Amino acid sequence: MKTFEEKWTAWIDGELTGAELAEFEASLPDKGAAEAEKRDALKLGTFLKEQLACHAMGNEEFFSHQLREQIAKESAVPASRGTEGGRAWWPIGRLAWVGATALAIFSVCAVFVMRENPATDQSQYLSQILNARVDPVVSPNATITMFESKEDRATVLWVDGLQSLPSEYASK
Amino acid sequence: MHTEATPAQADVPELELVKRCQNGDTGAFDELVTRYRTRVFGMIYNMVHSEQDAWDLAQDSFLKAWKSIGRFRGQSSFYTWIYRIVTNVTIDWLRKKQVKGSGTEFDDAVQLKEIDPASRTVPKADSLPHQRMERQEIRARIDAAIQQLSPEHRAVILMKETEDMQYHEIAEALGCSIGTVMSRLFYARKKLQNLLRDLYENV
Repeated sequence: MKTFEEKWTAWIDGELTGAELAEFEASLPDKGAAEAEKRDALKLGTFLKEQLACHAMGNEEFFSHQLREQIAKESAVPASRGTEGGRAWWPIGRLAWVGATALAIFSVCAVFVMRENPATDQSQYLSQILNARVDPVVSPNATITMFESKEDRATVLWVDGLQSLPSEYASK
Repeated sequence: MHTEATPAQADVPELELVKRCQNGDTGAFDELVTRYRTRVFGMIYNMVHSEQDAWDLAQDSFLKAWKSIGRFRGQSSFYTWIYRIVTNVTIDWLRKKQVKGSGTEFDDAVQLKEIDPASRTVPKADSLPHQRMERQEIRARIDAAIQQLSPEHRAVILMKETEDMQYHEIAEALGCSIGTVMSRLFYARKKLQNLLRDLYENV
């Protein structure tokens, strides 16, 4: 189903025929005004054709010459890019091998490092704190509990039975 | 590989030239450029109103055509196919220019270039200064009116009125439906009628 704009354009350009033409013309409320509008549109077309046609380019041969040079340049670039590209980019098979080898080396290193540093219940950092701060002579019954509060994302060190609190532990 | 169009190629059918281009014959492409460069340039010039820009865009369009000639299947004429590239390149350029907001599109240099002795657009030697000025004024009015249209509407009205292209050819060149072409033509005509009526009624 054509819109009014489409039918109007087709009518101006003489593209409406037969029943479609008769139907469209019958639908026009003021045929005289529409005919005047059509003449006006055709006059515009003729005017544009006269005024805009043939804005020829100067130096046409130079245009072609410049284009030939660009094409030659463009043709040379992809060829050299192709060669470099072949060197720079490895085939997928080789990339897969390199990836697998890297993964294997990483796994071996990870296992080695984990064996060197066995997991303990207590972190080294915590041991250092305990050794430094809990003197068995001063606080023989001191007990220390450590737990992790996941919600607060914090590790809590609960020290009980201290005879005295070291001065540098005083809250600041 | 050829680099120049040979005289014999002037008689070769378009499709044959396209096939040669697809086999890397730059001479055949040169012949196609020779056949269409003036129309392509004229079309772009009427859309952008600057000779320098039209030249560059025409170069760009033909270069793109050369690069993608392998994809041309001959389902439409080469002319329609190249127009599709031309309109895409030009509309993209106009849109980018609009976004950048680089000021008025009309290039005053055109006025100067139009009196370049090397140009075909040179007024005849016997044309009087006031006639020349009148022509330039008319052209400026038309350019200003066309500039008020969107790039798509410009392309449609220019293809229809100055290139005599059929609806389906324009649709193919613009990659839209025939209905869209007719609708754009309707609005573009209405707009230009309002803006230029006093000119074409009196000239």
